[in-house]
Amino acid sequence: MLSLKNLEISFNNEQVLKGINLTVNKGDVVTLIGPSGTGKTTLLRCINYLEKPDNGEILLGDIHLDYTSIRKKDILKIRRKTAMVFQQYNLFKHRTVIENVMEAQIVVQKKSKEAAYKKSMDELEKVGLLDKIDAYPSQLSGGQQQRVSIARALAVEPEVILFDEPTSALDPELVGEVLKVIENVAKSGMTIVLVTHEMSFAQNISTKVVFMDKGNIVEEGTPTEIFYQSSNDRTREFLNQFYTEKNSI
Amino acid sequence: MDITFMLEILPQFLSVLPITLMIIVVSSLIGFLLSILVAAIRIKKVKLLNPLMGMYISFTRSTPILLQLFLIYYGLPVVLALMGIHINDINATTASIITLIIYNGAYMSEVIRPAYLAVERGQHEAADSLGFSSFKKLTRIIIPQVAPIALPGLGNAIIYLIHDTSLVFAIGVVDIMGFANIIISSNYGMNQIEIYLTIAIIYWMISMVSEQIIKYLEKRKQRLPYNGTVEEAA
Repeated sequence: MLSLKNLEISFNNEQVLKGINLTVNKGDVVTLIGPSGTGKTTLLRCINYLEKPDNGEILLGDIHLDYTSIRKKDILKIRRKTAMVFQQYNLFKHRTVIENVMEAQIVVQKKSKEAAYKKSMDELEKVGLLDKIDAYPSQLSGGQQQRVSIARALAVEPEVILFDEPTSALDPELVGEVLKVIENVAKSGMTIVLVTHEMSFAQNISTKVVFMDKGNIVEEGTPTEIFYQSSNDRTREFLNQFYTEKNSI
Repeated sequence: MDITFMLEILPQFLSVLPITLMIIVVSSLIGFLLSILVAAIRIKKVKLLNPLMGMYISFTRSTPILLQLFLIYYGLPVVLALMGIHINDINATTASIITLIIYNGAYMSEVIRPAYLAVERGQHEAADSLGFSSFKKLTRIIIPQVAPIALPGLGNAIIYLIHDTSLVFAIGVVDIMGFANIIISSNYGMNQIEIYLTIAIIYWMISMVSEQIIKYLEKRKQRLPYNGTVEEAA
């Protein structure tokens, strides 16, 4: 359903992604893990063209594009089939919770106000924020803001949702509520690509785990294959380091 | 001090008030439009034009506006002649308006640019990620957040502009200030204080009205979030 071929991107002459090939099937929950500065977030942001790849191709549903000859119209098409949940939530600050969720439905999808409102209420119910619909983002906790942003992403009925370290900016006690919501989204059959440092969460919800290092995909497989059966040195080194750190806390 | 004299001359000033108001309204509106263009060029860092705009802003803001007025009034016909357009002299009111437009285009652009840049990147990215067109992103997400930041600065710019119009008498425009000087000279220099005080009050009134308009706009902008989407969509 989503596939990237030979995706390359450089910043300031330094190649950050060195020819990525990735396939995501419908209903997959694909988690990108790996050391910081490895290009996980960049890869995610290339999928909806927030970063502009230098080379490569993308296949998304019935869209097939070559990054070297991409047009403005194509970019909008891709973005309208995807939705993103950001590390810093990025809710529209001048809009209330309900307006945040309605906005793209009205402006981009040209839905009627009533239809958008109904859909928004459905999605806000799923993330448990019906009591906050008239609040402004600044009046909400980080966890609540992130749940709104998930509702906003769900409301446009994307073919795939991209999660960019959705819990990294949260206070530790708020991480759980957001992970719970993401887990429900995954269970609903939504196709997900997720960048996270929550290893046990990745292990629980992923259908496929992708380990990246230095701009390359080192290894990919089921959670069991990556977390317990990997024979790759770099993968094991990364996971060992991670668990050692966690145990030492 | 002769208050009855002040009341007597007040109606006479009302006859030249339209000139002052016209200069204020035309140069603030067109100046504002120009400032958007200038701010856009600087924000987008358009090649060639960007450094040019930098020079334009620096020059305009670093030289006295009275001097700019003379430069335009005496210099513009010369420049136009070089371009093959021959006019003997330019209308003083036109020269005044052109000068104030140029001045405000620079001044206001330096209010708009930082206000635009104050909106976080994440707001752009959120709209982009949801497939907003550039235009919709600008009108629905960015401008509503830029406006409350820019409005107080724009309000100040307009107050300054109102004060600056008092300089245009120097090239012979008969605005409030110009008219005051005419009355004074025909009065053999008497009642200067009363005359200047009268026009001070007129300037005060104009400034107060503009301030109220800006305040109203600020309030409206702040209220927008409460009914923005719902009302507009209906």
